[in-house]
Amino acid sequence: MSLKRSKIGMHTASHVGPNMTPMVDVVMVILIFFMLGSSFTSPVWYLTNNTPAIRGGFSNVKTTKFPPVKLIIKLDRVGRHTMATIGSYQTENLKGSLYKWLNKRRKILGKKTQLIIKPHQSVPYQDVITVYGDCVRARYHEVAFGMPVR
Amino acid sequence: MEGEHVNVTPLIDVVMCLIIFFLLVGHIAKKMSIKGIKLPSTVTGKSIGSQSNELIINLVPRHSEVQGVQRRPRIYIWGKYYSYENLASRLREYKSHHPNLKLVIRADMHTQYRYIAPVLIACAKAKIVSVHFMTRRQG
Repeated sequence: MSLKRSKIGMHTASHVGPNMTPMVDVVMVILIFFMLGSSFTSPVWYLTNNTPAIRGGFSNVKTTKFPPVKLIIKLDRVGRHTMATIGSYQTENLKGSLYKWLNKRRKILGKKTQLIIKPHQSVPYQDVITVYGDCVRARYHEVAFGMPVR
Repeated sequence: MEGEHVNVTPLIDVVMCLIIFFLLVGHIAKKMSIKGIKLPSTVTGKSIGSQSNELIINLVPRHSEVQGVQRRPRIYIWGKYYSYENLASRLREYKSHHPNLKLVIRADMHTQYRYIAPVLIACAKAKIVSVHFMTRRQG
């Protein structure tokens, strides 16, 4: 009889201490919050620049060889717009038309053509990047920047 | 069997480590890239991949009281301010410690080219081979 009583009394809790399960839920929520928080930043891209040096410009790769063809893209500010000029070709539409012009002429000009972007000092950075992006998109590998025009 | 359940205590340790990791990464990312810069958008571009040996130059725009006149942006590298005059020497110093330095220029889309050009000149003077422009994807 006393043994049975002691057996009954042995059904005690084997786990002592606070219940950790709700804490895991809280910690998981915090973790998800931080993971989501880091993913809300907008995706960034990079335009790489690895251009040879030219006279009257600045670049980061020194070379003694000059490419056979040099094309200067002038960017001027006309009111609130930026106009791009390459020789006799002019365009105010920097979104698409410059890329089409460059792409069409890539076979004629050749891979070794060097493009020099010469913006006016007041041209916004966005327009410079758009033109540079068009040059990269049209697969010109030698693109340099000129000194700002005053 | 009755009374048996999974011991979740080690799981909390792992999760705490992950939280600390994300906190640290967020803090470092905040120091590298300063707010207040609206990046230019492009349709072309690529992700750099490995971000080791990367140095970000932030050109933070300043508010101008005179309409139509833009003030020279401030240059910040790792949260520290540098003047345009000191930039080339600083970049040379960084380059000497990190020969494979990747430089990233982070500037506001409205910044005039006259303030971007000196940064490019400083990069060329410091003989930094790899220069990238940080942009955001268009659309």
